[in-house]
Amino acid sequence: MTIQATDAVLLDIHERMVRIRIFEEEAGKLMENGKVPGALHLYVGQEAVAAGVMAHLKDTDHITSTHRGHGHVVAKGGQFNEMYAELYGKAAGYCKGRGGSMHICNMEIGMLGANGIVGGGIPIAMGAAFSKKFRKTKEVAASFFGDGASNEGSFHEAANMAALYKLPLILVCENNGFGEYTRQDNHQAIVDVADRAAGYGMPGVVVDGMDAIAVFEAAGEAVARARNGEGPTLLECKTYRFYDHVGVRGMGLSYRTDEEVDAWKRRDPIKLLEEKLIEQGISTKRKISAVHKRVRDEAMAAIKFAEDSPLPDPDGLLEDVYYEKA
Amino acid sequence: MAKPLGIAVNPASGKDIRRLVARASVFDNQEKRAIVRRALVGAVEAGVREVCYVPDSHGIAKSALEEFEGKLSAEAVESPQTGSVIDTVGGARALAERGCGAVLTLGGDGTNRAFCIGWQDAPLLPISTGTNNVFPVLVEATLAGAAAGLVASGRLTLAEAAVRAKAITVKVEGQRDDFALIDAVVTRERFVGSRALLAGDMLKAALLTRADPAAAGMTSIGGLIKPVSKDDDYGLYLELDPEADGVNAPIAPGLYQVIGVAGHRRVAFGKAITVTGPCVLAFDGERERALKPGQKATLRMQRDGPWVIDVARAMQLAAERGLFRIKRARKARRTAS
Repeated sequence: MTIQATDAVLLDIHERMVRIRIFEEEAGKLMENGKVPGALHLYVGQEAVAAGVMAHLKDTDHITSTHRGHGHVVAKGGQFNEMYAELYGKAAGYCKGRGGSMHICNMEIGMLGANGIVGGGIPIAMGAAFSKKFRKTKEVAASFFGDGASNEGSFHEAANMAALYKLPLILVCENNGFGEYTRQDNHQAIVDVADRAAGYGMPGVVVDGMDAIAVFEAAGEAVARARNGEGPTLLECKTYRFYDHVGVRGMGLSYRTDEEVDAWKRRDPIKLLEEKLIEQGISTKRKISAVHKRVRDEAMAAIKFAEDSPLPDPDGLLEDVYYEKA
Repeated sequence: MAKPLGIAVNPASGKDIRRLVARASVFDNQEKRAIVRRALVGAVEAGVREVCYVPDSHGIAKSALEEFEGKLSAEAVESPQTGSVIDTVGGARALAERGCGAVLTLGGDGTNRAFCIGWQDAPLLPISTGTNNVFPVLVEATLAGAAAGLVASGRLTLAEAAVRAKAITVKVEGQRDDFALIDAVVTRERFVGSRALLAGDMLKAALLTRADPAAAGMTSIGGLIKPVSKDDDYGLYLELDPEADGVNAPIAPGLYQVIGVAGHRRVAFGKAITVTGPCVLAFDGERERALKPGQKATLRMQRDGPWVIDVARAMQLAAERGLFRIKRARKARRTAS
């Protein structure tokens, strides 16, 4: 049964998007102020994709993500305390501080892991989908990846096997127009990654990735197909990252123009959805501001929690590395 | 007088979610390129020497034209490059300004609708590469190119090879006007969303320029009750109600739904039909405009749409006039000595 875009569902999608945006805004500040170790790849601009797809998934459905994975974790139900603690490398983090930004993983919410390897998550999600089919659950798996990853062997191998075995897999390509700093027309001869689906014997569709309702509707059909045993779908969402490849301002490389960024920002997915919520009388400016404030307060409290949390104990270095009999 | 042949390819046609819910065909852009190449072969044989094309974001027309260097002069018209429907609308305007004698469009109903927003009385030969394909024709591109080429090159007149299509003009209170070629549908949906129009129980009313029982789309609902052909000088209005008796209609390719029809009536040209929001208006199979509560829109039908070149008629005329006959120079007969 496809989930309908009721008022409650739309408000839920909106909240997921606001949670991603605010988590990332604050994470960006932490990185640029040198508060957290390493580089962060932030999801700002792409929120409609994670929120629109995840609104159809349960904790028992599994996803894999990318190096730009915070948005997927938040949308899947990840908690700010454990997420910020992970960015800080603290023991209270989702991976006890050992994974960091690019490897957040939590089985309770069905998050099989962000992944620093481009395209690395796709075969993992395909494997999860295989398991679901083998065990005859009605669960699905979804893998998020970018236009760049669709050039990787891992994408092609996983797509082939998923179509062959009709696995309950949704391949969500977040085409943000760039593989890191390389424009799409410099890394592939096609513009619609969805065109590749036909080569594997699965449907491929293109949807406006800045329109959360459009993503929600398209993802609903793909998830319903998967749950009904009709096999995988390649869902291409045309989107854009507002921040740089790394961090907020990034390295200041001239691979895209300010005009292009501004043009996409005029279609900010959160603002687009908020306009519709207000226009349809589903929410008000005041209620929307209250959501933003509540989430911001939660983020600030979680950052404090992360800062105050202890680092992992060096004596535990080998814990969770080797299999130990219980 | 020979005029340029126009080409407008919609790179985004045939890719939306109707491939999931309605089993619509997938048109990848390599196939669209192959279609343009075949059409150009036909156009060259028909006498076309000059082509103007809308530069699409996927470079389909441009790359298809590469192999015709020396046979055709090709010119990219100046048009917006947004990767959206704006490109098709702006491209149509540019082809009109350039004075194209015939235009090949590649897309579905939505593409041709967008094209006609930019150039309402365009001389079109629409090749079907879309989802809902009531307006464009499923035709071998070689012949489509030849037929359009005969008109562009002035060997056939538009009046003899084409028929003017009906169209619906939509005036939206306080906002820009809109346009439909086949159908304008009022739905209880709230959002444009993924655009697909697939929830039959949400439909409130439909105005059809044609009601075709042999086509997929909203047109089939009327078609299975009271057919109206593209040649009839009137349209059909349907009141839709999920509680009413109705028809089992193919509302999209690969998708039958039972649609309740509370009433139907003929609509004369020029008759105004007023719609009041909240509702979403869908044109030619896609949700397009959301009306706010109390906001009004007025729909009117006329035979003031594009001229549509009829491939069969054009080729029949070509045969009658011997336009493709070839006379060979006879060799002198050798006699045995």
